[in-house]
Amino acid sequence: MEGSSPTRRRRKAVAEEENQIASSTDIPKETDIVPSKRPRNNDPALARRAISLLRSRLCGHSQPLLLPEAQENERKIFELLSETIRNASNNSILLLGPRGCGKSLVLNKVMVEIQHEYPERLSVIRLSGLLHTDDYSALREIAKQLCVEHQLVFSKAASFDDNSQFLTTMLRECALSHKSVVFILDDFDLFAQMSKQKLLYNLLNIMQSREAQALVIGVSCRLDADQLLEKRVRSRFSHRKILFNPPSADDLQKLLPQLLSLPVDSSTIDTNYAEAFNASIQDMFKSKDVKNILLSITKVDLSPRHMLNFLFLVVCAMDWKYGFLSLSNFKQACVALRRQTKLESMRDASVLELYLLVSMKRLEGKERETYNFITVFKEYKSLHDSHSTCDLYPQEVCQRAFENLLDRQLIMIADGRRSSIGIEFCPVKLLVSSYEIEEGLKSSPVCPAILLQWFAHEEFK
Amino acid sequence: MEASGVHAGACLPQALPASASPKKRSWGSDALAGESVPDVTPSPLKTCRRSPRTPDIAHPPRLRPRKLGFDDVPDNSTIQELQEKAEQGQLSPGAAQKGTEKTPKKLPLPKKKELNARTSNLSNKNGIRTLNPVKTPRKTFLDYVVVDRIKFQTGDDVYIRRTEEDVDEEAEGCLVCGKSGKLVECDNCSRGVHLKCTDPPLKKVPKGEWLCSLCVAVAKSQSGKSRVNVPNDTLKTARELLLASKLWAARIERIWREADGMLWFQGRWYVIPEETAVGRQPHNLRRELFRTNHLDNNEVASILRKCNVMGPTEFRNSGRDGDDVFLCEYAYDPQFETFKRISDDDENGQASSDEPEDSQTEIEEDHESDSDSHDDNKRSSQKLLGSSKKSSPPTRAANVRGGHLSKVGAKVIPATARRKPATAFERAKAALRLTATPESLPCREREMGEISAFVTDAVVAGNGTLGHCLYISGVPGTGKTATVMEVMQKLKKSYEEKNLQPYRFVEINGLRLTYPEHLYTVLHEALTGHHVGWKKALQLLDERFSNPKPSRRVDARPCILFIDELDLLVTRNQSVLYNVFDWPTRPHSWLFVIGIANTIDLPERLLPRIASRMGLQRVSFSPYSHEQLQRIISTRLEAIDAFESQAVEFASRKVAAVSGDARRALELCRRAVEIAEARCANDPKPGSGKSKGCRVKAKSNDKGNLAGMKDVEEAIKEMFQAPHIKIMGRCTKLAKIFLVSMVYEQHKSGMMETTFEKVAAIFTYLCQNNNESPVDWDTLLSIGCSLGACRLILCEAGCRHRIQKLQLNFPTDDVSFALKEDPEVPWIGKYL
Repeated sequence: MEGSSPTRRRRKAVAEEENQIASSTDIPKETDIVPSKRPRNNDPALARRAISLLRSRLCGHSQPLLLPEAQENERKIFELLSETIRNASNNSILLLGPRGCGKSLVLNKVMVEIQHEYPERLSVIRLSGLLHTDDYSALREIAKQLCVEHQLVFSKAASFDDNSQFLTTMLRECALSHKSVVFILDDFDLFAQMSKQKLLYNLLNIMQSREAQALVIGVSCRLDADQLLEKRVRSRFSHRKILFNPPSADDLQKLLPQLLSLPVDSSTIDTNYAEAFNASIQDMFKSKDVKNILLSITKVDLSPRHMLNFLFLVVCAMDWKYGFLSLSNFKQACVALRRQTKLESMRDASVLELYLLVSMKRLEGKERETYNFITVFKEYKSLHDSHSTCDLYPQEVCQRAFENLLDRQLIMIADGRRSSIGIEFCPVKLLVSSYEIEEGLKSSPVCPAILLQWFAHEEFK
Repeated sequence: MEASGVHAGACLPQALPASASPKKRSWGSDALAGESVPDVTPSPLKTCRRSPRTPDIAHPPRLRPRKLGFDDVPDNSTIQELQEKAEQGQLSPGAAQKGTEKTPKKLPLPKKKELNARTSNLSNKNGIRTLNPVKTPRKTFLDYVVVDRIKFQTGDDVYIRRTEEDVDEEAEGCLVCGKSGKLVECDNCSRGVHLKCTDPPLKKVPKGEWLCSLCVAVAKSQSGKSRVNVPNDTLKTARELLLASKLWAARIERIWREADGMLWFQGRWYVIPEETAVGRQPHNLRRELFRTNHLDNNEVASILRKCNVMGPTEFRNSGRDGDDVFLCEYAYDPQFETFKRISDDDENGQASSDEPEDSQTEIEEDHESDSDSHDDNKRSSQKLLGSSKKSSPPTRAANVRGGHLSKVGAKVIPATARRKPATAFERAKAALRLTATPESLPCREREMGEISAFVTDAVVAGNGTLGHCLYISGVPGTGKTATVMEVMQKLKKSYEEKNLQPYRFVEINGLRLTYPEHLYTVLHEALTGHHVGWKKALQLLDERFSNPKPSRRVDARPCILFIDELDLLVTRNQSVLYNVFDWPTRPHSWLFVIGIANTIDLPERLLPRIASRMGLQRVSFSPYSHEQLQRIISTRLEAIDAFESQAVEFASRKVAAVSGDARRALELCRRAVEIAEARCANDPKPGSGKSKGCRVKAKSNDKGNLAGMKDVEEAIKEMFQAPHIKIMGRCTKLAKIFLVSMVYEQHKSGMMETTFEKVAAIFTYLCQNNNESPVDWDTLLSIGCSLGACRLILCEAGCRHRIQKLQLNFPTDDVSFALKEDPEVPWIGKYL
């Protein structure tokens, strides 16, 4: 989205921004809290092992820790699955909740436990609404997964009719062999948006007959996913829903020290180091600054995934030589997570581009709803005519700058597509607000003072 | 006499070298002939002797017997006739001998025999037999055969005698010295002792009965008792022999007579649990057998007598009449070592579709009359005999037409499958399942009568005095498909009781068709068995239905076409629907159509020419009222004491108010039962409905045992409540302020839709006025987009930045309700 800025300018910009954010938000500008009593760690290898352990935990590779509400949901799903397998019944359920609240995580955990408890009684088919965009490919994928699981030969050339016949037959055979088939549909709302909802109807319809033993689990982030179903499909769907709420900020904060503490009796991590690390973590989370940082993070997004992303960045920023986490790590992660992309774009823009932006703003101020490059150029020229400056460039150069702005998505073409009449005649719209332009102008190192004046003068606050 | 006796006995399944466990018998070298098995020898005995324990690896090429058609005349000839023919010199003398001396009771197995004499007998036999059953062209198939006034027909279950080699295998050596050789067999326990090792030593095989020393000692110790009550290691009854693996059982699939007059049958073996890969499980019944897909040809002479192998329902009601009653609930595949339950419609008919994988190695010389193209594929990709030792020949994919699915099965039958639901809650859950449709649907008697009248009239009268098309409409969940299925079941029953002419029933679901024209293919295939493309199918069907005289058609059975989800067949020019409803109106088409859809005025929405054909006779299913729902639930829960009556009424009233959908009501009750069960399980109260034993005590704690109003309420809350209010109350602080600014903007401008810029401006304004720290617009944009992903608000893509359009997805009252008294942002109330 932004232009190609060189790395050196990037680093300088980041440093500047850090100061700016530190000044504008409530992160205090203090130095690191390093109590002198903690020993210095001289061995970077220990730190590296610790970092890799923490990173794998935060990415979700190892056994996840769950919040109490998520554990409750996990128990419910587990009971439903056991009931389906033991009593050979058919069920369908939807898992709903905002993104990042643990639906897939809990579901995967439950599947592992169930496979452990009832070996050979379960056959799992996974589909995704993003990958399988229509009924035919979804059904083919179901056939393929069934064939792979039961070690049958799969043919890619089978038609929709063949595959649906195969599905019915396989479900019947599995029911006779006391095997339950679990269909996990990720992004369930996308399946419901397919035309005629054939796949959903067929799956739920098969479950109405005695010959099948199946469970359909839909996972969706849309809370109204079951309203998307057609009436026929809705009638066949048992309206069981499990809600995954975002946790409260307190619950989340209680979980954090556990996430970052190292195991004391592990073989790969030195015990002394682990204990020292855990102690530093405890101190860290008690300090006011870190609490403020965490508060600013949770104000934006309460989902656990966001918090895990944040902690991941913190851990990645840890200095090996030092060996422990410090406040600067937290600040760095905070900055990396909350980037102001439009401000950065404007800061990197050239003078001409800034002129064009200001001209567009003035046009908007004059109640001109639609404008294209020609009118913008006219406004730009009139600016220079009234106050002669050295910044007047010919139309071709301005057009080039205009196209640059389009690429950076600071402006966009109004009806969304480039028609054949030429870029200078297409109506455009400005995507940055006046407040943002002002901020951008102020922070830009190349902005001429006169431009700021024009902008401020014409703006009626 | 003895030679022929051995000959008779030698028709039995072939002996195999002994090994310790019965499960692991394999083909190994045959002690008799010294030839390896896969060689095709002309001796028919070699090719036909097979035990049920071996996987059918090397199947010699044999003529696949034709299915019994209408042309085959059952041959009532008994063995006496055979003997006559033998006297005329057409048959071999062995057959005649077999005929006369064979009775089920007298086992022609000579007890006192010499083992070594066997080889010589066989070589004699090689001379006798001149014909090879593979090459014989004249094979007549029989429906039944009468042997000694006992009639055996296809589908009967019989005991099969094993060879004497098998019987003696377990006691191969002499009792005394352990070596093999010439052994004399004891009458009681069939153990062998050398002539020299007997006490006193004998010179030759004694005539009459002879008992070994052990049996003599036992008999002496039980003086006064008759010889019959000898201790348990002698097995007398056929059932015991079978269960001790000394006898086998099979099911006759086909019977035929060879050109030389010998009667042969093809039998499907049964195995006992000990012979499966997992052995006997604790939940296997004593009289349990498993059906395999292992078929073998054997001579009819090896049949002992009949036994009864039943499915689980019959077995429960059989009352153990007779000793030869066994249960067979599962099918066992010896090649993959898997179990599969036999489905109900398979029990009665032939389970002929599960041939073993290796049957592909046969070269089919005759195939069924309506051969499809896939048969050609099958033959061209077959492997020849001899190279068939590979375990999984991948010839045919599983998901194409006619694919093989025999690998699917359970390794072990789970114990939970055998358990019947014990507590009242479990029985209630089983009864409330959507799949457990009752025999007759309550509250739908009138509609059923109308449909039944239409169908019966179609089949009986033939010319359809009540019209040719029936249109059924109603909202989902009102029992339309279930009623039609029930009518067809009744029709099928009356056909089976021979009260009705034959008819045909074709079922099509509009949502299972790939495209509407696919209906022609499906219909044509159902009527003739040929699979062609839809254009050709349309042409053929048109010809068929326009032809006034049924000249070429094989059968003129009336065909009832049942189309579910009819509105899916509507195309732009509505040609499919027109054809489907036009064909029945032609004379002598013998086609009757029943269509189901949800809209009551579907005929009116179509072209008038279709509406006139379709809309003459209609049945409308109205949504259920709450009394009807209550009746439906109570009928299901008859004799199950799991619900308070008020709870059922409450549930039915709730569902009737919303939709009148029976499925919803049943699911609601099932969920309520689950909640009640979980509650009772956690309840520390004693006697809270767990075992039958404390039922007396449980009566005092009645309320705890039943699903009550509270459980139903909780289930309703789960199923009917919209989750957005809860989520709104739990989102982040900034998101809450965002929502409030949207509400404020909506009130201010009066329009539902707003742009991001305006919302952001109000957001900043609110923050400034209430001492909240301001937020940059990028963060605000991400907050807005995450709210849009949950569909709490509707928003465009975030790349449109400040011109992004936003709209609340729920009424402002909901937002007020959720956020008014929020502790995080207490100042919000004044803006709502």
